[in-house]
Amino acid sequence: MGKYILKRTLNSLLTVIIVFVAVFMLLRLMPLSGYFPQDMLKETDEATRMSYLRNQGLLDHPVKQLFRFIGNLFQGDLGRSLTVYPKVPISTLLAEKIPVTAAFGFSSMLLGIVLGLSLGLLMVRFKDRWGDRLGTGYILIVRAIPNLIYLFFIQVWISLWFNLPMVFKKDLPSSWILPVICLSLGSIAWYALWLRRFMVDEENRDYVKFALVKGLPKKQVLRRHIFKNAIIPLVIYLPSDLLFIISGSLVIESLYAIPGTGGLLTTAIKSQDNNLVQVIVLMYAVLSVIGVFLGDLLVAAVDPRIKLTEEE
Amino acid sequence: MKRFIAILLAVAMVLSLSACQFLPKLEDPDTTPAATMQPEDAANAVDKILEGKTFENVYKTYFSSSYASFNYYSTAYATVREIIANCIDGLVEPNTYGVYVPSLAESWKSNEDQTVWTFKIREGLKWIDHTGKETEYAVTAQDFVDGIRYIGDPLNGAYSLRVVRNLIEGLYDYYWLLDDIDSGTVTDTTREDAVATFDEVVGVKAIDEYTVEYTLTSSAPYFLSLIESSMLMLPVEYEYAMSLGEDFAIDNEHMLYCGAYYVSAFERDKAITLTANPNYWDKENVTIETVEYQMIPDGTTSLEMFKRGETDYTSVEAEAYLSLQGTEWADNLLPTSHSFSTNYLWLDFAGENPEFNKFINNENFRKALMYSLNRESLASLREPVDPKRILRNTINAEGAIYDSNGVDYTDYSPLKEIKETDYNQPELAKQYMEAAIKELCDENGNIIGCEPTTVDYLPVCSFDVDGKLPVTICYVGTDDEAEIIMAQLFKAMIEESIGADYIDFQIQAYSGWTYGTVADPLNYDIYFDSLSTGYADPSGILTRMTTDGAENVGKYNVPEFDALIEKALAATTFEERLQYFAEAEAYLCGNGFVIPFISSLRGYYMSYSVPYTSPLTLYGNTKYKGTLVMSEPLTKAEFDVFEAAYDVERAEALKAN
Amino acid sequence: MENNNKTDSSRILNPLKFRAAVFDSMLSEDTGYSNYSYWRSTIRTFFKNKAVLALVVLIAAIIVMSFVYPMVSDVDPNKVSLFITDWNQRPSAEHWFGTDTLGRDIWARAWYGVRNSFLLAFCIALSDVGIGMIVGAIWGYNKKLDPIMIEIYNVITNIPSTVYLVLLAYIMNTSYLTLFISMASRGWIVEARFFRNRILSIRDSEYNVASRCLGTPMRRIATKNIIPHIISLIIMEAALCIPYSIGSEVFLGFVGVGLPVDAITLGNIVNHGRASFTLHPYQMLLPTIILCIITVAFYVIGNKFADASDPRNHV
Repeated sequence: MGKYILKRTLNSLLTVIIVFVAVFMLLRLMPLSGYFPQDMLKETDEATRMSYLRNQGLLDHPVKQLFRFIGNLFQGDLGRSLTVYPKVPISTLLAEKIPVTAAFGFSSMLLGIVLGLSLGLLMVRFKDRWGDRLGTGYILIVRAIPNLIYLFFIQVWISLWFNLPMVFKKDLPSSWILPVICLSLGSIAWYALWLRRFMVDEENRDYVKFALVKGLPKKQVLRRHIFKNAIIPLVIYLPSDLLFIISGSLVIESLYAIPGTGGLLTTAIKSQDNNLVQVIVLMYAVLSVIGVFLGDLLVAAVDPRIKLTEEE
Repeated sequence: MKRFIAILLAVAMVLSLSACQFLPKLEDPDTTPAATMQPEDAANAVDKILEGKTFENVYKTYFSSSYASFNYYSTAYATVREIIANCIDGLVEPNTYGVYVPSLAESWKSNEDQTVWTFKIREGLKWIDHTGKETEYAVTAQDFVDGIRYIGDPLNGAYSLRVVRNLIEGLYDYYWLLDDIDSGTVTDTTREDAVATFDEVVGVKAIDEYTVEYTLTSSAPYFLSLIESSMLMLPVEYEYAMSLGEDFAIDNEHMLYCGAYYVSAFERDKAITLTANPNYWDKENVTIETVEYQMIPDGTTSLEMFKRGETDYTSVEAEAYLSLQGTEWADNLLPTSHSFSTNYLWLDFAGENPEFNKFINNENFRKALMYSLNRESLASLREPVDPKRILRNTINAEGAIYDSNGVDYTDYSPLKEIKETDYNQPELAKQYMEAAIKELCDENGNIIGCEPTTVDYLPVCSFDVDGKLPVTICYVGTDDEAEIIMAQLFKAMIEESIGADYIDFQIQAYSGWTYGTVADPLNYDIYFDSLSTGYADPSGILTRMTTDGAENVGKYNVPEFDALIEKALAATTFEERLQYFAEAEAYLCGNGFVIPFISSLRGYYMSYSVPYTSPLTLYGNTKYKGTLVMSEPLTKAEFDVFEAAYDVERAEALKAN
Repeated sequence: MENNNKTDSSRILNPLKFRAAVFDSMLSEDTGYSNYSYWRSTIRTFFKNKAVLALVVLIAAIIVMSFVYPMVSDVDPNKVSLFITDWNQRPSAEHWFGTDTLGRDIWARAWYGVRNSFLLAFCIALSDVGIGMIVGAIWGYNKKLDPIMIEIYNVITNIPSTVYLVLLAYIMNTSYLTLFISMASRGWIVEARFFRNRILSIRDSEYNVASRCLGTPMRRIATKNIIPHIISLIIMEAALCIPYSIGSEVFLGFVGVGLPVDAITLGNIVNHGRASFTLHPYQMLLPTIILCIITVAFYVIGNKFADASDPRNHV
C-alpha cells in the first residue's frame, strides 16, 4: 500500500509539474502590450511602458521568472496580482474569495447529491411510470434549454414571485436560496441520470434476479443490493467534486454578484495577469490530482472487488 | 482672479441655456421655460415640492465593474474615482453651480501669466483612518508636494501621468532621470542622490506648513479644472504610504482619508460602504450619513432592483426606456444631462490593407465616409426619443471650455461650421466616392498600384484583398453587444449610401483589451473609440493628437494641424490660444482625419435623489456632499421644476458673485 | 498445475476420438438464430415506438427546412434597418416572429442559425466521438500505452482551456474553423477515456472471454460483440454534442475565439438575445423552441436507440 501511494504521488507530481511549466511558458508567449489595461496603454508612451515592465520583472527570461516564482513559493509568497487587482497580494485575494465560493459550492453539492440521488431512485422505483417521466422531463429541460435563459428567468421572475433578493447579500440568508438552487440544477440532473442508468444496468444482473426469486421484497433489493452497487461508479468523482467546490461558476456568480472565484481564472487569463493565472493553475492542478487519487482510494474502500495493490 | 470667475459665470450661463435645449421634446408643453420664470416663483415651486418630503440618511447605489484597488495614483480603473472623489479632498472643488470654491485650500492666487499657483491650506486638519478615527498625521502643504513626489517615481507606476508630468516644472526630467538610473543607462549618479534633488528641481514647494506653490511649464488658466479632474493632484501622507510600500491603498484599511467620507467597509467585488467623516471641515453640508455601494454587474438587474426599492439609482438604457413607457415608472424617467466624452472613428493611415490605405489617403474618400454616416440613427440606439441631443461633430465637447468672455470654444469660427454641419448626406457621400474612384482607379475598377494580397491583422483577423473595387474595409470594435450592434449599423449605412459595389465593410469584434492588440499595432482599418475633454482646455486632447502625439492612433501625417497646435501653445492670450486650437480641431475633423459622431451620453436614469443638490462636477466624479435623498423616486414633473429653478438660481447666484 | 491438466486431459480424452476443431466461420453462424440480422432487428425495434418515429420525422423536417429555407427564401437575415421604427418589432404578418434589435427578421435568422449550428455540432460530434473512439480503442487494446495515455489525459484536462484558447485566438481569425478547433481541442481525449473504459469492461466480460477461448478472432469479437455495444454509446454521446456545442460557443465568444459577427448560429442568437430578454422575450421564443426540440429529440432518439441496440430487447 505504501509503495502504491509513493508511486501515485510521484506520478501526480510529474503531472503537476508538466501542467504548471506548460502554462507558465504559454503565458510568456503573450504580447507585452497585453500587460496594460486599455486606458493605461493609451495614456503612456513606449518608454514609460518598458520602465513599468522592467520594474515588474516581466522582461526577464521566462526561465529566470519561473525559478523566481518557485523560490518565492517556497517562502510562502504567492506574489501580487498584476492587472486584475493591481498590487493586491494573491494570497489575500484567494483568502477572500475561496470561502465564499466554497460555501456556495458545498451547499449546492449537498443539495445536488441529496435531490439528485432521490430523483434517481424515484425514477428507478417507478420506472416507465410517472416518477421516471418526471425525472426525464426535468433532465431534458435542464439540458435542452440554454442555461443563460433559465438562469435569467429564475433570477428575474422566481425572485419576484417568491419575494427573494435578486443578488447575494452576505448577512441575508434568503439571498442564498436562488444561487444555491441555480448551482445545483445541473448536478441534480447529472446524479439522477447516471444513478438511474447504473441502477437499471444492475437490475438485470443475475444476483438481483436471484435475490428476488429468493423472495426478498423489491424495495429491500433496490436499497440493499442495487443501490449499493450502482453508487460505486459515482463515488469515484466525489473527492474531486468536493475539492473543486472552490472553483465556482462564472455565470451564476456574475448574475448574483457573488464575490467568489468563478470568473477569476478566465478574467486573469484574458487580462494577462500572469502571476494570478499561474497560482490558480497550480492550485487547480494539485487539487485535481489529489481528487483523482482520493477517488481511487475511496472506490477501493467501498468496493470489495477492487484492490489497489496486485496480490502476489 | 476676477477674470476666472467671469469665465465660470459664463460657463454656468451657457450651460443653463444648453440644459434647456436638452429637454426632451415629447414632454408636455406646459413646462415653464427657465427664461420666463421669476426667481421667487422658482424658489416657491421647489419649496412646495420639498415640503412634506422626508429625507433619508442612507443612499444605496451600485457599481458594475470591480474596484481593483484604491490607489488613486496608480490605478488604471476610472471607477476608483467615484470613491476617491468623496474620500480624498483636493485643493478646490466646484459648488452646485460649477464655480470653484475652497476645499482643502482656503484661498489661492496665481501670477499674471498663470504659471505659478499658490494655495493656502486649511489649518488643523488631520487624516483619518478606515474606522473614522483621527490619526497623528496632519494635512499639510507637504502632503501635496509628496503627492507629486510619489507619482514622480517610476517605481510607483503612476497612471495617466503625461499631462501632469509635462505641466509641472522639472517633473519630466526628474521622472526620466530616475528611470534611466533604474534601467542602468545613467550610472554617474545614485538613485538616492537623484531622489534628494526633488525639492530643488521639481516645481512644487511647501512655502510653509500651510502654503503650497506649483510652478508650471506653461500658462494654465485651466489649472483648477485640472485639479478637479486629475487624481494625481491629490495629497498623500508620504511617510504612511512609504511605510506600506506596495500595500498602499490596496484596500480601505491601507489608506488614510481627508474627504467628506471614509470607506468604512470594503468587500472586494461585492460592496463598499462610505461613512461620513466625523471630523470633516465642512460637516454641516454633508447630508447623507452613509453611502452603500453594491456590485450589480448587469444593467437589467439594477433596473429590476430599483423597481423593488433595493437601490436608489439606476441608469436606463434606450431599450429599457421604451419598454417602461406606459408603466408606473414612465413618470420617473429622467434625461441624463451631459457627457464630455465623444465617440469617434479612428482611420488607419498606415495599415497593411493596400486598398484601404490607397483610399484613406484620398481626401474625397474621407469625405465620402464622413457624409455617409447617419448619426441620428446611431444616436437612437442610445436615445430613442430625441437622438439629436447626443449628436456631436467635434472632438472637444460643447459646454466644456469657455473663453474669458464666456464664448464657447466650439463656437469659435471654423469649428462652429463643423459643429453645425449635417453630415447625413448619402448623395454627397456617393459623389465624393465617385470622385475618389476617378482619381484612384482605372476604368475596369482596378485600384491603381494595388496588388492582390493577404492582409495580416492577426490576432484580430486576416483577409484577402484583390486590388479591385469594392474597397475592403476592416472595422474593429470590441465584442460588447451594444458596440456590435452599432458596428452593424455602420456597415448598413456606409454600404447603403456609398454602395456595396464600392465598399465591402467587414466587421471584426475583438474581445479583451483592444488598444494593445488592435489600435496600437494598427491591426484595423476603422476603429471605434472615445475621447473625453478632461479639463477646461482643448490642449488636453488636441496636443495628444499631433502627428507624433500619443493619441494619433491612426498614424496620420498632418503638418498643418501640428503647426496650428504649436501656434496655440505659444499664444499669449487665452482667446488666441482657443482660436488656434479651434482652427486645428476644425482642420482635423473637417478633412476627415478622425470622425467624431456622437457623445457618450446614455439615455436616461431614475433616482431618489433631489437633482442639483450635489456639487456640479463637470470634469470629476459625483460627490455626495449636500445631496438630498428622498423616500420616493423623483418624478419627471418634479425634475422639470427643479431644473427650471436651478437655472434661474444659478444665473442669480452668478450675477451676485 | 497446467502441465498436470494437460497430462490429465490427454489421458482421459483419447486423441483418436477428440481433435481440436479448426474455427469455421460458416459453421459458427449456423448455431445462431436462423436469419437474424443484428442491425435489421435493431432498426425494427427502434421504429416500433411511434413517438420515436414522430421525433425522427420532426428532426428530419427541421434539418431539411434549415437547408432548404436559405436556398428558396429571398429574405436577407443580415439586412439591417437604419430606422428605429423597424427595430424590435413585435410578431406580425410580415415578420412572423418579429424583428431583432436592428430590424432583422427573426424567422429567417433562426433557420440560418439552425443550419450553421447543426453543421458545426455535427462536425464536432464527428471529431470528438470519432477520434475519441479510435484513440480509446487503441488505448484499451494496448496495455503498454496506458501510463503514457493517462499522463496525456491528466495534462490536457488539467490545463485550463482558456489558456490555450486565448493563445489560439491570438494566432487565428475568428472563423468556423477556429471555433471548430477550439471546441474539438479537448473533447476527444475525454471521449477516448470513456470508450477505453467501456471497451475494457466489455472485452473482459465473461461471454467475450469465453468466445475468445473458443478461438473467435479478435476482429470478429470487435465487430460483432464490442462495436454493437459501443454504437449506442456513440449515438448517445453524439446526441449530447449539439447542446454542448451551443453552450460552449457562448463561452468561446467570451474568450475571443467566437465567430465573425455576421455569422448566424443558434448560440449567437441566444447569446445576443440575452441582453433584451426581459424586454422582448418573444425574440428568444423561436430559437429556444428549435433548440429544445433538437436537444430533446436527439436525447430521446439516442436513448431509445441504445435500448433498441441491446440484443436482449430483440424479438
